[in-house]
Amino acid sequence: MCLPGNQAFFILKGTMSGHDSKYFSTTKKGEIPELKEELNSQYKDKKKDAVKKVIAAMTVGKDVSMLFTDVVNCMQTENLELKKLVYLYLINYAKSQPDLAILAVNTFVKDSQDPNPLIRALAVRTMGCIRVDKITEYLCDPLQRCLKDDDPYVRKTAAICVAKLYDINAELVEDRGFLETLKDLISDSNPMVVANAVAALAEIQESSSKVIFEITSHTLFKLLAALNECTEWGQVFILDALSSYKAKDARDAENIVERVTPRLQHANCAVVLSAVKVILQQMEHISSQDVIRTLCKKMAPPLVTLISAEPEIQYVALRNINLIVQKRPLILAHEIKVFFCKYNDPIYVKMEKLEIMIKLASDRNIDQVLLEFKEYATEVDVDFVRKAVRAIGRCAIKLERAAEKCIGVLLDLIKIKVNYVVQEAIIVIKDIFRRYPNMYESIIATLCENLDTLDEPEAKASMIWIIGEYAERIDNADELLESFLETFPEEPAQVQLQLLTAAVKLFLKKPTERPQEMIQVVLNNATQETDNPDLRDRAYIYWRLLSTDPEAAKDVVLAEKPTISDDSNQLDSSLLDELLGNIATLASVYHKPPESFVSRVKTVQKPEEDEEYLEGQDSGQNESSAPIPDSVVASVPANANRAASAAPVQPAAAPPMPDLMSDLISLDLVPVSEPTAAAPSGPPLPVIFPASAGQGLQISGRLIRRDGQVFYSLAFENNTTGPLDGFQIQFNKNTFGLAAAGPLQVPSLLPGTKADTLLPMLLFQNLSVGPPSSVLQVAVKNHQQPVWYFTDKIPLQALFLEDGKMERGSFLETWKALPDSHEVTRDLPTALISSVDATVEKLSSSNLFYIARRMLKDTNQDVLYLSCKVPYVSGKSIPFLVELTALVGSPGVKCAVKTPSPEMSPLLFDAIDFLLK
Amino acid sequence: MISQFFVLSLRGDNIIFRDYRADVPKSSAEIFFRKVKFWKGEEGEEAPPVFNVDGVNYLHVKVAGLLFVATSRVNVSPSLVLELLQRIVRVAKDYLGVLNEESLRKNFVLVYELLDETIDFGYPQTTSTEVLKSYVFNEPITIDAARIPNLGAAAIFMQGSRRMPGTAVTKSVVANEPGGKKREEIFVDIIEKISVTFSSSGYILTSEVDGTIQMKSYLTGNPEIRLALNEDLSIGSGGGSNYEYGGSGGMGMVMLDDCNFHESVRLDDFDLDRTLTLLVIHFIITKVPPDGEFPVMNYRMTQEFKVPFKVYPTISDVGAFKAELVLKVRAEFANTITANSVVLRVPLPKSTTRATFQLELGASGQSTDFKESNKMMEWSLRKVTGGSEHLLRVKLTLSQERNANIKKETGPVSMNFTIPMYNASRLQVRYLQIVKKSKTYNPYRWVRYVTHANSYVVRL
Repeated sequence: MCLPGNQAFFILKGTMSGHDSKYFSTTKKGEIPELKEELNSQYKDKKKDAVKKVIAAMTVGKDVSMLFTDVVNCMQTENLELKKLVYLYLINYAKSQPDLAILAVNTFVKDSQDPNPLIRALAVRTMGCIRVDKITEYLCDPLQRCLKDDDPYVRKTAAICVAKLYDINAELVEDRGFLETLKDLISDSNPMVVANAVAALAEIQESSSKVIFEITSHTLFKLLAALNECTEWGQVFILDALSSYKAKDARDAENIVERVTPRLQHANCAVVLSAVKVILQQMEHISSQDVIRTLCKKMAPPLVTLISAEPEIQYVALRNINLIVQKRPLILAHEIKVFFCKYNDPIYVKMEKLEIMIKLASDRNIDQVLLEFKEYATEVDVDFVRKAVRAIGRCAIKLERAAEKCIGVLLDLIKIKVNYVVQEAIIVIKDIFRRYPNMYESIIATLCENLDTLDEPEAKASMIWIIGEYAERIDNADELLESFLETFPEEPAQVQLQLLTAAVKLFLKKPTERPQEMIQVVLNNATQETDNPDLRDRAYIYWRLLSTDPEAAKDVVLAEKPTISDDSNQLDSSLLDELLGNIATLASVYHKPPESFVSRVKTVQKPEEDEEYLEGQDSGQNESSAPIPDSVVASVPANANRAASAAPVQPAAAPPMPDLMSDLISLDLVPVSEPTAAAPSGPPLPVIFPASAGQGLQISGRLIRRDGQVFYSLAFENNTTGPLDGFQIQFNKNTFGLAAAGPLQVPSLLPGTKADTLLPMLLFQNLSVGPPSSVLQVAVKNHQQPVWYFTDKIPLQALFLEDGKMERGSFLETWKALPDSHEVTRDLPTALISSVDATVEKLSSSNLFYIARRMLKDTNQDVLYLSCKVPYVSGKSIPFLVELTALVGSPGVKCAVKTPSPEMSPLLFDAIDFLLK
Repeated sequence: MISQFFVLSLRGDNIIFRDYRADVPKSSAEIFFRKVKFWKGEEGEEAPPVFNVDGVNYLHVKVAGLLFVATSRVNVSPSLVLELLQRIVRVAKDYLGVLNEESLRKNFVLVYELLDETIDFGYPQTTSTEVLKSYVFNEPITIDAARIPNLGAAAIFMQGSRRMPGTAVTKSVVANEPGGKKREEIFVDIIEKISVTFSSSGYILTSEVDGTIQMKSYLTGNPEIRLALNEDLSIGSGGGSNYEYGGSGGMGMVMLDDCNFHESVRLDDFDLDRTLTLLVIHFIITKVPPDGEFPVMNYRMTQEFKVPFKVYPTISDVGAFKAELVLKVRAEFANTITANSVVLRVPLPKSTTRATFQLELGASGQSTDFKESNKMMEWSLRKVTGGSEHLLRVKLTLSQERNANIKKETGPVSMNFTIPMYNASRLQVRYLQIVKKSKTYNPYRWVRYVTHANSYVVRL
């Protein structure tokens, strides 16, 4: 910090009353005794200035806690300015000096009955901010009084204070009946009080699994009435609460909309967006198209006006509009011009505007839009330029009739010969070729002029794909490919894979001498000189195909590809609907469901002894002896886990795991006909690819763990009219790099038959980057059908390592060592612990190991501590420390997890939820 | 709701820090600053105003060279938080007069007190300076405004290039004048930001006015104020869907697409639900104004308007390694009006190695510059009187032989300017009436107009 606060304060004093300045110069006595003396002065002004100095020191991080008693002594004053300063100090130090804080309690309680409403409110507000149990106890009576105070300022402060108290001690709030009083405040005569009561109730509801705050038609009326009267912020609280209300019928919905629509005219963007949310939600209940059309018309101008606000607000508005136009494109169909980029827009605004322009682009306005994109493509910011070029391509894919115009613009841009523009254009042209096959090959010649400028993998790969795909129409395709081949070993995998495929395509299309030589070189390179299993596998497959049956190879390699479609409405409809319900929240900015980024770390109510267990350890005040009572540990058979882990039956004969290499060389291309021995036992496999999607082929499956190895337990069902054979499987990059350890062993399937198989899997083969995700994208093909793509979920429990059991000591140590920010909690409302022993046994058979157990006396809940470990690249592993709290026999388990990789915890919650079902 | 609020300097120093919920670690300010400074791992990349790091949501606005930040763990309304940050800025300005690092540091006790009344447990309570006055007891310590650079006559309207400016004066609304008594006065500013895009052939592709009627009141006792606007003002859906009037230029009427009002505004003679078929004869805002600076009304207009400047750029080859760019600017407004700080910027072809500028004979108050690093030329004119025309010739030396793309690589021309006492929309304050407390009560009333360029772009 460059200008220390106390120095600033010193200047302050100097200007106000010059003679005070001497107190702040470094004194012989030292600062603290000096301040102590002043704090105990009998002159009010001197006292006040002293407290200011103390606070100045506090804000720059100096420890002035030793002055606690002296400062608290200044608290009993009629002077509000001084009182506020003391309170500010108290909030800061009460946590570290809980015993001393008690000294202040009397004054607090007295202040809460002061004739001055400001002082009453201040006392209650401050007490709620002091998160010290002993103070909290004394808070209840004053709070009770203040909730029913005559002065609305006091009541509105007390309403928020209930939420504060709930955060510290939920039970206390429930026991003392504060929730009922809070609900009564919804009918308060003062709209500010209503708004704060709504805000407090909404927050309490969010952290509770019980129904606490539900809007009935009665409260609805009250809220709508208060909406017109309260401050802008209160309007937002009320509107957000209203958005959870489900209208009874169309008339109910129309009534709400009618009352909310005037809020669209508000100058506060938050009010406007929250009103839009309510209106959009109620529109779902309205059937009259006329009403909907009118509403859409009314929402357009205020939404557009948001784009004139500060850039930060614009960004939020644009992210929301992006969602709104996906659902209701009509609202802004005529307003595309307002989304044109201004030259001085910040880059994050420009990028969002581009997205919306693509979404609003239509045959009617495409000329205008293309003119804009073309202009943007010559701007300075490289990322923006790239996005503009891609936007042109996306419009071509979206609007068939405009495709030619778009290609025209792309060619113009290529002619400018700006390196990154050319590369981006080639990437999108490849997509255009895939969307409109055999329509625009005439432009290939122009593209080929730019071969030597390509230096980015994606652009190179795209160009190579184009050459391979249209090899028969490019006279010198062999020459062109050869120019890339020289650098084959140094190229990134993406380019190598494309080169390999392109070379095969070229050979199949023009089996002349040069391509033949080329294919030899490529296959040699790709099989022998590379460590990349994807490349090697693909090369081997081509090799075998080519050497066995070139005609079959043609069928496979030159098969017609499914055309791609416009991706500008990328969000799938269920996510979109969820996000639309979250308009005007962070979820609508991130375009992610709230549970993916919200982790309510601290609001989770910890019973007192629990607190001691975890936080007492943190502060080091507890003895290091085990906070988990030994008696509890002893109550579980010592060898329970051991027995449990040995429990699962041996899997029926492991599938053959042939050496991949030799297999490929020796394997007959006739598909394996004998059914695989491995018939997976256990619960029926979920359908991961329904027959309706697979033209009669149905696939069920789940990742499972057997003997420390991950298998994909799969079942194939042929509901088509003919036999299916030649099954192959491939996995896309995923968080754990799961890939097949061997070929898929599925026999030829006659119509109406089914085959089960266990596919051994390897980890960390093709890792995806980005945040952890359970998504596993799978491609399956056979000889008769096109390639099928589908998505499965990776159950984390399939990855739990056998050595995941932690010693109690190290469990505690690890728990202590991990920062609180690494603790994530989730309520699993449907999970059930029917009996602790059975659950412990079941969990440890899935490598989720029991550590200890204890009982919460007042709630009769059991708390289980467990640990597990998930492998991580290069032989490392990630430990998870799990705490389950539940009432045995009734559904609902609270799960807390602490781990060095908290971003993984959603996956773990899913796993536990699954295991406890 | 929000967990913390803090203010950082652009160097990352913590100026103000307030924790409301104790659920986000104290290190958040540091984490935030590092993230913003090296967005995507690069310095200079601009971070979006809302992002999430390790489960903590960070929302921020940049104002007056300071970062105002809020953190939250829950799925809050980001517009609420960002709007709140902007309001805190406004309240701080009202109280401190000038908002900067120094004034915040000097007044930190006051600022903490303000924050306690503004936000409780992360929930915004009130952001009205008027209301706050009855709960806040610290007196602001003003800093010497004269020491702050950039507060010349024109610069009053130039603070922060992006934010809507309009700080009419830089004195605290709350503090007493040195003489003891406050001067009774009120400022009404009609501030318009105009955005125009011209095609290469000189046609107007898009044009837009974003306007604010901003008020800053130093009146005691909150008298009622009446503000009357044009009689021919009409509000309704303009823009693309306005077919009835589309493109006709509005026949002299002022047609706003949309507008919104401060909550204290009463619209006695106005029904917002009526559409553009309604001609408002008498548009009066009757209000008891709050203290401090606040926007009375924001409005937006896409109706065609007379543009203040026309720019004619041409570029041509004049030899193998040479090109010539000619820029002509014409001021289209009345000669009684003068535009200030007019600047034209043109990105030149990447192969440009040198640019020689040739101003008109007798040109004064003009300067030119060429930045080799980003190939950007700049032409500044200190003052441009209405009706005048100015010309600049730029001779370019290129490192590459001429190519067909020279036109594509040049431009667009972007223009910045401020025109006091001029507004593009022709929206006017017909009168500003203060309901008198006594006969002798006659406060100073100031009504001022100013137009800025927002995005004023001419394509080549």
